[in-house]
Amino acid sequence: MFRKNKIFLIFTTLILLVAMLAACQSASEPTEEPATEEPEIEEPVETEEPEEVEVEEPEKEVVEEETEEEPCLVIGALHGGPINDAGYNQAMHESVMKIQENIPCVEIIEAENVPEEAGATTTMQNMIDRGAKMIIATAFNHQYPALELAAQYPDVVFEHAGGWEMSQNFANFFGEPPETWYIMGTAAGLMTETNKVGFVAAFPLGWTNTFINAFTLGAQSVNPDIETIVAFTFDWADSAKEADTTNSLINQGVDIITMHVDSPTTVISTAEERGVYSIGFQSNAAQQFAPENWISGIGYTLGDKLTWLASTVMDGTWEPIFLRCGIGDGCMEMAPFGPNVPQDVQDQVLQVKDQVESGEIVVFEGPVIAQDGTIVVPEGEVLSTEVMGSVDWFVQGVTGSPK
Amino acid sequence: MSLLSLLGVLSSAIFSGTSLLYSTLGETIHQRSGIVNLGLEGVMLISASSGFAFTAITGNPYLGVLAAAFAGGIVNLILGYLVINRKANQLASGLALMFFGFGASALIGKSYVGMKINPLPRFTLPWIANLDVLYSSLFKFDLLIYLAIPAAFGIWWLLFKTRWGLGLRAVGENADAAYASGRNPMRIRFQALFLGGMLAGLGAAHLSIAYTMSWSEHMTAGRGFIAVALVIFSKWHPLRAIGGALLFSGAVAFQLLLQSSGVKVSPFLLDTIPYVITLLILIIWGGTRKSAAPAGLGRVYYGGQK
Repeated sequence: MFRKNKIFLIFTTLILLVAMLAACQSASEPTEEPATEEPEIEEPVETEEPEEVEVEEPEKEVVEEETEEEPCLVIGALHGGPINDAGYNQAMHESVMKIQENIPCVEIIEAENVPEEAGATTTMQNMIDRGAKMIIATAFNHQYPALELAAQYPDVVFEHAGGWEMSQNFANFFGEPPETWYIMGTAAGLMTETNKVGFVAAFPLGWTNTFINAFTLGAQSVNPDIETIVAFTFDWADSAKEADTTNSLINQGVDIITMHVDSPTTVISTAEERGVYSIGFQSNAAQQFAPENWISGIGYTLGDKLTWLASTVMDGTWEPIFLRCGIGDGCMEMAPFGPNVPQDVQDQVLQVKDQVESGEIVVFEGPVIAQDGTIVVPEGEVLSTEVMGSVDWFVQGVTGSPK
Repeated sequence: MSLLSLLGVLSSAIFSGTSLLYSTLGETIHQRSGIVNLGLEGVMLISASSGFAFTAITGNPYLGVLAAAFAGGIVNLILGYLVINRKANQLASGLALMFFGFGASALIGKSYVGMKINPLPRFTLPWIANLDVLYSSLFKFDLLIYLAIPAAFGIWWLLFKTRWGLGLRAVGENADAAYASGRNPMRIRFQALFLGGMLAGLGAAHLSIAYTMSWSEHMTAGRGFIAVALVIFSKWHPLRAIGGALLFSGAVAFQLLLQSSGVKVSPFLLDTIPYVITLLILIIWGGTRKSAAPAGLGRVYYGGQK
């Protein structure tokens, strides 16, 4: 008996040691990682929107000097998943951190891994108690908890990523991915040899369907025979299911894989491992998982717009606006091409990118025909942004069910 | 439906069924010795995260697999201490272990989310490599997949063909009788838990290091519980576990194939197919459960301390 107790004690201490080692590791890793990734995202900042930011900066520095320790604005930011997921949460985290980079006197209280709505309410409440005057909620399901709190705290500004509700002190911001999906579609259409491309998606939501449609239309613009095969995992972050789905699509003959799930790591790693091209979405950190078979990708880079929003909160000019900004505004960024993308394909894709940015190409310009042959956007009309969030049809050329 | 797409389903089923098979084998061993481990989900999570972390640190996936296996074995010993030494209720201890696993794995894996690792290398067996690439690419597997079915045969041999296995099964049926015949039920149960934990650890390692190549919280997504159900489905027999694991993962793969072929059935309904199959099988086999389950399953053994 005693011997077993001793063995048990030894094992528990071992486990504790391992846990402590892991904790020590966590202290050292994150400091290294962002350092390697930030340069990619930093670049456009200086070029795209310097005026608005720089005008604000001198003023704030003065404030900072006057009240040394007091931050000029406390911002509470909360995310639904881990901020190092190389996907949506990381892109949102980096965008929020950009505010502090641009306005150093800002203090940011950040919370990650807040999946539930009840947890979100408590977290935001805590942030407000700690002096936050601006709350940035980036998870889809945090919209209503934030909206409720906005009614309780009229002097706090709430910004939600990708929502649609508006109130006196509640607004939302987001990138405009459909047009960038169109650009990615042209890249896929030019690169595929089997004319089959695979799309791994979490849920058949309106926006996801819109992305799939834009991607397919882009691919068809350069390759009319294209077929986009769609399969849903029904979870934003079930990596085993994502691997299942990716394998299933590859087994059906697709030679390009792209996805709309929280973290692209599993889908892209699986495609890379099976020698299939991939296109990233959410964060451009996804590229590291496909050193060989990467085509390109798109990530959210909302840092500059968030900086501008924060500056308006500070000088009291903030107003609730339904903010949507695209690749031309620097809110979305295209990742570099992979090593196996031929130069003529790169040129053609970049040309389409220019045409999209200049408005020469409008993605959902009628006539748009759905899978079953009905005309969903008549000739001479354009699908409006409001409708994109509730799209329940796929365009012709998509295999899969949009409901 | 062509031969190629059926082979595709088989390939997907083998890929995702491997982790299920290992953990089912692990649970079979515990249960044969009389211990139900409902905490398997937590054990797998700790193994998956520590294996992934170890791979990320050392850069060697095989070391990661080893770490995951040992982590599984060690965590199972905690359960052993509770239910064997402290005579705690097995079901309650198992659930507590599961929740411990949720938290501990999140802590261990936290800084490794979204990290790139060297996954377990995949290779094609020589005679398959000669086939058309369309087919051979379907059967490019990693070492853990190739070893999964041999492992099931190994466990079968261990349980049914060795003296140790006979003793283990005797303890599971009637610990007092086994004690009377000169076995040490406590030691055997600890051994069963350690070995079973290592197998569950291998399953978890396959999930994080080889299959998804990533770590995320709750990534086992219920596989630990499915393994417990598969033990019942396979009537506590390691060889039937092969069929169970393949059937389950095959149903998932088939569901995905139907879904992406544009079959006009609700994907939500398709998603429940694997669970419906499991339920049906449990209903069909449920009646004969008594004859198959180890008689001493879940019973506390007091003998050694009297």
